[in-house]
Amino acid sequence: MIARLVAPAAGVLLALAAGCGEALPPAPPAAAGAPAAARFAFTDIAPQAGLARITRAGRPGKDHLLDSAGTGVALLDCDADGRLDAFVVNGWHLDGAQVLERGRHALYRGRGDGAFEDVTDAAGVGGAGDWGCGVAAADQDGDGHTDILVTSFGSLALYRNRGDGTFTDVAAGVGLLSPAWNTGAAFFDAEGDGDLDLYVAGYIDCTLDDVLSARRTLDWKGKELVAFGPFGLPGAPDVFFRQGPDGRHADATDEAGFRDKALGFGLGVRALDHDDDGDTDVYVANDSDPNYLYRNEGGAFSDVAFWCGAAFDANGAAQASMGVAAGDADGDGLTDLFCTHFSEDHSTFYRQLPGGLFEDATVPVGLREPTYMPLSWGTAFADLDADADLDLVVVNGHIYPQVDAHPEFGMRYLQTPLLLENVGGRFRDASAQAGPGFASARAGRGLAVGDVDGDGDPDLLMSQMDGPPVLLRNDSAPGAWLIVDARVPPGDGPLVGTRVSVTAGGRTQQRDVASGDSYLSSHDPRTHFGLGAAERAEEVLVRWPDGTQTRLADVPARQVLRVEKARG
Amino acid sequence: MRSALRVLALPVLLVSVTLLAFGFRPAPAPAADVATPAELVKSYDTLADAILAVKHTEENLVRAILAGGWAHARAEHDRAVAALSGGSRDAARASLETLAALVAQLGSEGDNSVAAVRKRLLEGGHHHNASGEAQGIYDEGFVVVTREARKALLDASRAIGQAAASGDRTGLDKAWAAAEATVKSLAVAER
Repeated sequence: MIARLVAPAAGVLLALAAGCGEALPPAPPAAAGAPAAARFAFTDIAPQAGLARITRAGRPGKDHLLDSAGTGVALLDCDADGRLDAFVVNGWHLDGAQVLERGRHALYRGRGDGAFEDVTDAAGVGGAGDWGCGVAAADQDGDGHTDILVTSFGSLALYRNRGDGTFTDVAAGVGLLSPAWNTGAAFFDAEGDGDLDLYVAGYIDCTLDDVLSARRTLDWKGKELVAFGPFGLPGAPDVFFRQGPDGRHADATDEAGFRDKALGFGLGVRALDHDDDGDTDVYVANDSDPNYLYRNEGGAFSDVAFWCGAAFDANGAAQASMGVAAGDADGDGLTDLFCTHFSEDHSTFYRQLPGGLFEDATVPVGLREPTYMPLSWGTAFADLDADADLDLVVVNGHIYPQVDAHPEFGMRYLQTPLLLENVGGRFRDASAQAGPGFASARAGRGLAVGDVDGDGDPDLLMSQMDGPPVLLRNDSAPGAWLIVDARVPPGDGPLVGTRVSVTAGGRTQQRDVASGDSYLSSHDPRTHFGLGAAERAEEVLVRWPDGTQTRLADVPARQVLRVEKARG
Repeated sequence: MRSALRVLALPVLLVSVTLLAFGFRPAPAPAADVATPAELVKSYDTLADAILAVKHTEENLVRAILAGGWAHARAEHDRAVAALSGGSRDAARASLETLAALVAQLGSEGDNSVAAVRKRLLEGGHHHNASGEAQGIYDEGFVVVTREARKALLDASRAIGQAAASGDRTGLDKAWAAAEATVKSLAVAER
């Protein structure tokens, strides 16, 4: 067991070097001790940070749902320099049936201070011209370098990190073939054999011709014709790939119990050990269909969502789920789930009960009202004000541009994101007091969370359709914090599935390391903890996927704590 | 051709004028029969029988799914109670989880495979209980299980799941009684 300080926190932003756009805007004065209404401050620094590539999204009228689905984003450290890099998936730009541009994905190398450099071409991850959807980042082959999976309409790409700043797409070579509309994906170790397997959700079964020739035929409130579906279109099956010891993947969907019998319209995927029994389960957010919760029983999975209370809302209705977040929001040691939904229906907070069951607690925790009107996508639990509880972020944007012609319905195509502050287990809509970053309306979709500027608080990377990425720098009230950078030696099993617990001020919080989260996105694999007033953690406990543990006592706050697993 | 027409025009004109002069009127035609031919009505009537029979068959099929599921659930309940009484915690848990899944499937008129069929029917515009859906009594595509019954069965299934985790016999009994009452209200068990 090795634990050492890697990078003491620095609250000072550095001026940018030439080549990364304008200088980053200065952070406002710290809001320590500020009243609740002024705890948060977020500013979009993407233009100055060098995140400029436009995310393409079909036609202006959004004639097909693929035009409106948007793309995911990832925060990852692909060059192992301890600084977060950013990956943004790209789609196509259409004019009717004519393809104007096949957007290229973007990899931005982080400089650690919030500024980035576009290294896409040098890295070779721009894509082969497919219409990209989602991303999951993980050291998929156990060689110590973070690889990137991109799901697309009609294909998968697995960019194997060669460790020298370049990547090679090895998807076909390792058996990752899925000629469907692939959306959310998650890497996880299904059988505990040390290899990362892969779950990929499928959305609608349609062809590129269907997309290119699409016409808006769905009547919206008797006012407009909008893109048809998903209801009325056949669903595409989800697929599960098992990785063998030779690194090749085989379609083991049926064998593992993942057969998509309902052909649900799959979008968000999150792998997690929801029942804390030491193996990884899988949650799938389905649009307009019941959600799935596949419980892992020794490598065989069964969907228990119906009776576990995680498939429907409190009334037994299936909802139009888009994204998913997992976290212990009420501090009871059990992982809760949050699903984002279509407009005019609330997003749903599934509080976990003992025994791995869930209840829809959206109303009691105050989440119904703020989430009812927005059309919501990317989401994450994160302690944005470092007060030792998990807040919620929700990225919004309607799928029909046509709604702007009817303001009487109270919704707009471009929508502002939500910051929902956790106040003693209930959530308060703090968006209006969260700075200019939360005041701008966008066609938001993907969301990834991570500390991109090294100041110890979680920043927010979002994708928006037909626009460049958004990077909301967090300049909120600075409570104490701790980032745990857990590392597994190459070849000694995956990092994904690691669970980290931090006890500080007598309170224990936990996080897990996932690959594939939110809406088609992937968060910083390092785990962030807000510690409030506690300047030391009594204990840091890392439970590795193989069941071994690393325990550290009396750990100072305000640092990135690197914890390396002892070789098994 | 033109000259031939010119030759015929004069006699035709003369005949016409003569007929009009003598007050010629064509004989009145018999009243047109506008009724839909009986054969077609009969065919349609027969088709209606078939359509309604299909609808009845659909309901009977769903009832059969529910009855089968309920019979399975009752057997599983007996197994779970026996395991709980015998102190066999692991067996009781497995049995109760199966029971929870069966009760949840009653609430959804079958498992995800059935849901896929239901979705296909809806996509094709078939709503078994269209008026009931409009009144909020049924969820889309449901045939027998009302929205209220669906919620009750899903709640009962989760409560049984909780009993599986805790081994709480009282909780199980309460949840089972709720499931029984709901199934009875649907008149599934009697069939």
